[in-house]
Amino acid sequence: MTAITPPARKKIKAGSFSLNRFSTRTQALFHVILLLFSLLCIIPFIFVIIIAFSSEDSIRQIGYSFTPISWSTDAFAYTFKLGNALWRSYLNSFLITIVGTVLSVAMTVLYAYPLYRRDYKYRKFFNFLSFFTMIFGGGLVPTYVICKSVLGLSDNYAALIVPMLFSPFNVIIMRTFLQTTVPPELIEAATIDGSGEYSTLLRIVLPVVKPGIATIALLVSLAYWNEWFLSLLYLNKNMSIMPLQYLLMRMQRNADFLAKNSSMLGADASKAAAQLPSQSLKMALVVFIVIPIACAYPFFQRYVIAGLTIGSVKG
Amino acid sequence: MTLTKAHAGSGLRRMRTSSASRKKAFWLTTMMLPGAVWLLLIRYLPMFGIVIAFKNYRAYRPNTFWNNIIQSEFVGLKNFEFLNSPDTGIMIRNTLGYNLLWIILGLVISVAFAIMMSELSSRFLAKSYQTMMFFPYFLSWVVASYFVLAFLDPTSGMIPFMQKATGQKITNFYHDTTWWPLILTICNLWKNLGYSSVLYLAAITGIDTTQYEAAAVDGASKWQQIWHVTLPGIRPMIVILLIMNIGKIFNADFGLFYNVPQNSGSLYPVTQVVDTYVYRAYANTHNLGMSSAAGFLQSAVGMLCIIGANALVRKIDPESSLF
Amino acid sequence: MKKFLALILTLAMVLAACSFAVADDLPTITIMFHGSNVSDDSAVLEKVNEYIADKVGAKLEVIWGTWGDFDEKAVNVLTSGDKDVDMVFTCSWSADEYNSYAKKGYFLKLDDLIEAYGADLKAAIPESLMQAATIEGAEGKGIYAVNGFKDTATQNTWDVNVTLLNELGYTVDDLKAKGFFGWDEIFAKAKEVKGDSFYPFLVEPMVAERMVTNSIIVAGDAGSTNLLSLYLNPDDVSKDGAYGNKLLNKFATPEYKAFVDQMHKYYEAGYIDPALSVAETSNDARTNHQKDASYLIGTQSYAFGYEFSADVLARGVEVQFVPCTTPYVDTTASQGAMMAINSASEHPEESFKFLALLNSDPVLMTLMNYGVEGIHYTLNDDGLVVFNDDARATYSPWTNGMGNVTILPDTASEGAGFRKSFQEYYAGALGIPSLGFVFDNSPVENEMAALGNVAAQYALALDCGAVDPETELPAFLAALDAAGMQTYLDAANAQLDAYLAK
Repeated sequence: MTAITPPARKKIKAGSFSLNRFSTRTQALFHVILLLFSLLCIIPFIFVIIIAFSSEDSIRQIGYSFTPISWSTDAFAYTFKLGNALWRSYLNSFLITIVGTVLSVAMTVLYAYPLYRRDYKYRKFFNFLSFFTMIFGGGLVPTYVICKSVLGLSDNYAALIVPMLFSPFNVIIMRTFLQTTVPPELIEAATIDGSGEYSTLLRIVLPVVKPGIATIALLVSLAYWNEWFLSLLYLNKNMSIMPLQYLLMRMQRNADFLAKNSSMLGADASKAAAQLPSQSLKMALVVFIVIPIACAYPFFQRYVIAGLTIGSVKG
Repeated sequence: MTLTKAHAGSGLRRMRTSSASRKKAFWLTTMMLPGAVWLLLIRYLPMFGIVIAFKNYRAYRPNTFWNNIIQSEFVGLKNFEFLNSPDTGIMIRNTLGYNLLWIILGLVISVAFAIMMSELSSRFLAKSYQTMMFFPYFLSWVVASYFVLAFLDPTSGMIPFMQKATGQKITNFYHDTTWWPLILTICNLWKNLGYSSVLYLAAITGIDTTQYEAAAVDGASKWQQIWHVTLPGIRPMIVILLIMNIGKIFNADFGLFYNVPQNSGSLYPVTQVVDTYVYRAYANTHNLGMSSAAGFLQSAVGMLCIIGANALVRKIDPESSLF
Repeated sequence: MKKFLALILTLAMVLAACSFAVADDLPTITIMFHGSNVSDDSAVLEKVNEYIADKVGAKLEVIWGTWGDFDEKAVNVLTSGDKDVDMVFTCSWSADEYNSYAKKGYFLKLDDLIEAYGADLKAAIPESLMQAATIEGAEGKGIYAVNGFKDTATQNTWDVNVTLLNELGYTVDDLKAKGFFGWDEIFAKAKEVKGDSFYPFLVEPMVAERMVTNSIIVAGDAGSTNLLSLYLNPDDVSKDGAYGNKLLNKFATPEYKAFVDQMHKYYEAGYIDPALSVAETSNDARTNHQKDASYLIGTQSYAFGYEFSADVLARGVEVQFVPCTTPYVDTTASQGAMMAINSASEHPEESFKFLALLNSDPVLMTLMNYGVEGIHYTLNDDGLVVFNDDARATYSPWTNGMGNVTILPDTASEGAGFRKSFQEYYAGALGIPSLGFVFDNSPVENEMAALGNVAAQYALALDCGAVDPETELPAFLAALDAAGMQTYLDAANAQLDAYLAK
């Protein structure tokens, strides 16, 4: 905790908390349940890794399998042969995710904080302004027209960042975090001390809602990292700023399209399908996509867990 | 003590408070500006497009979007007529049915998971579970569908393989609707539990620890503490997520219903939802008006449901309501 | 801080000045292709822009649409009236479907431009293709896209693994003699020799259905699963078929019943891979079996010269394509790849000049399609094109989607004279009696939406034999009736009658 600690939160004497834990048997049961579900979550990813290392022959003959007939590193060799295209798109993904996350989290917190303040007189209006767009939207084409012709979002990084800078869902989540973790007395006390609104937010509120901010940052960065549809819409000529996820989705969509239209395209579809990258290559790219964000996850988690330990030492 | 003095004093106080509150409102409003500007530009400006749902949109001369919208013929509710199909009952039943079931199941299980994780004494394991639970979120439904296929494929899938080995009749899963409500439910939980339980976990971490102390002093057992402290503590989060999910009750996760069953026609009775129906209809007609109409309808239903749910919440627990 | 700001401002101004200095007075025209596999077009565009500067009076920019993202992009660009894209690919099967988009006003009518600048184009493209592009559009009857000269006829074939067939003791003539309904014995033999997990019959179910019942795709019908059919005369495609020029509900005919009954027998006997009966796994399974040559008889919609293409040669077995009928020209095939001008374009004249040049000038067509000589390909001693695989990997557009492929030079793998025989083969193809008819489905769009969903539910599983026709076919027909099949059919037949009466 930084300078100011919420007044209500006291340190608990060591030893007293052990009284208030679940019995070992109950904890063991929790472990079993959580472990089983965690395995269910992780096994498909292991499956993806297995496919990435399966040989094409094996995939052709027995399909996707946990026990391929033969192994191969061709897919990864091919991935590295993609060379510049791969690394550049990787870099683009990082850039878009980092810039997008920082800006988006800042905007979310700035928007959610006044909504949390019961003494802010326009909160109802701004709350509705944001909430309404969660339900109603203008649709794909009108949004495209505004973004491209009015805002100039086309073939540039801004086009891949700006359209998802702000999410009413995250605002509501953030507001809820503020409601549940920041007692209004804390704000009052700061106001009486003569603290300005921005300094109250920065110095007093932010440290308390760190777990909430980490959670929002995680959600936003995931959304940016997984995003490809904006690239499809707004990238036409400047393909050098394409993110990795779009590189993968393009391969996927090419295959899907040829599958659906093969009877119309006839021999052309067969020829094109023969040129498509292999299944194992696609899975290799999935691995490339998942690894960095999985590595970044503990970074976000530190705050959630840091909060958690305070919560679990709960007297 | 005189009346005038008292008056003067309160008047001064009022003046001071009102200027302070105006100043406060000003600074707080500046915080909203970036988000509000974004909302106006990216969300509200395009909303004129909603009118396409009631028009027969096509191109005119000069061919600009504005001109086309203005000149296109107004057709009333004609774009909504695609709903008048024998499949309508099935797709509405599926959309609402799955959503309701999953909202309830998802809520109960993810809250349970969040509480379990918060109560584990091993920090390391709690961390590991949480990380692993997030993995499904990275895998697209297309990739997940391969995984399901590895189990169900009639030729090389694991379940048919085991059935063959034990001499049972092979189930052709992709032509047999029996198991799909279960399979889809598992897939949905698999994908979304990690996400929602991390929200609840973060909410639990925000609960004021003194409340637990007080409960312990009163002799509350751990289960009682969860009932009386933890659950009330995360009630705002539960309610908010619930209301927001109810707002999406007429929308379905397209990839789950399209890719996971491999778009198998025989399974439509249990996999056809509003989004897949509209997608398939759009693939044939490419009618912008029809897809706008479908989107508008989903929004309108969502709006009604949210307003209803919010009104209900406001009666019971005004603190937790969405607006 | 002020200094910093000043620096930024100066920089911005310098940059702006630079970009003004670079821009010359030629307008830029942008073209959007389909099915491209292009990651580096700089060398090509440099040459192209040099070449077209005088001839067209514009600079070219290209949006290389890929198979997977073209539909979404094109629909978005056209419906939003985006003036930044001047030319866009269109055809009878893409999302920006030629007939309906021309009718809705998204494409420019080209007749005046053809009159003014199209003499070379008219000479390069057969009259029949011009006619196929002549439709009733937003600005009246006329041509709304430049029709590419490619494989403009349809021919469905049985794709036979001759190596395996001979191994089993049969010949292609045996196959032809026995016919689709009499292959049990051959399949049984294959299963016996190759083992239980071998599936001899590798169908693309919808194509097999058309081959066996002699039905064809009707332009304007539901694209994902066709509902209507016209029947060919298999002996002479230019004559009326068994039902004359009448559109039928293809699933209600005795031919269809016979077909699905037979498929169900084959499926139950284990001759067909179950993966083929599920929409999303069907094509992957088919491609895999073809690559492995792990099939005996398959279906293939054929294009001239396909047997010499790399993917067929890579199978490592002798493959023969046995046709069901002679190639026939229908509306769908004759509108297979076209290039339209966006009606929002600000440079229609330059765009048309470019399209005319692309379709009539071998130099430009070769440059756009094969790349730059010395970089993407070289000419061997016989003057045939030999590709440089590395460079070609970064630049391979979809040949048939670009325009007139008959003016391309021959490649070494296809052999000398290939393009000439290609041209003759398709010039000789006969048109079906109702050639040119396009069903305008807009009055019955809602029925089509419902029917398309019903057909997607039943048709593939039935066509593949995976479900029992005794119970499923009547259920299918009842569901079609409930979704308004009769209304749909009546509308289509009224239009066809009116078309033929003209």
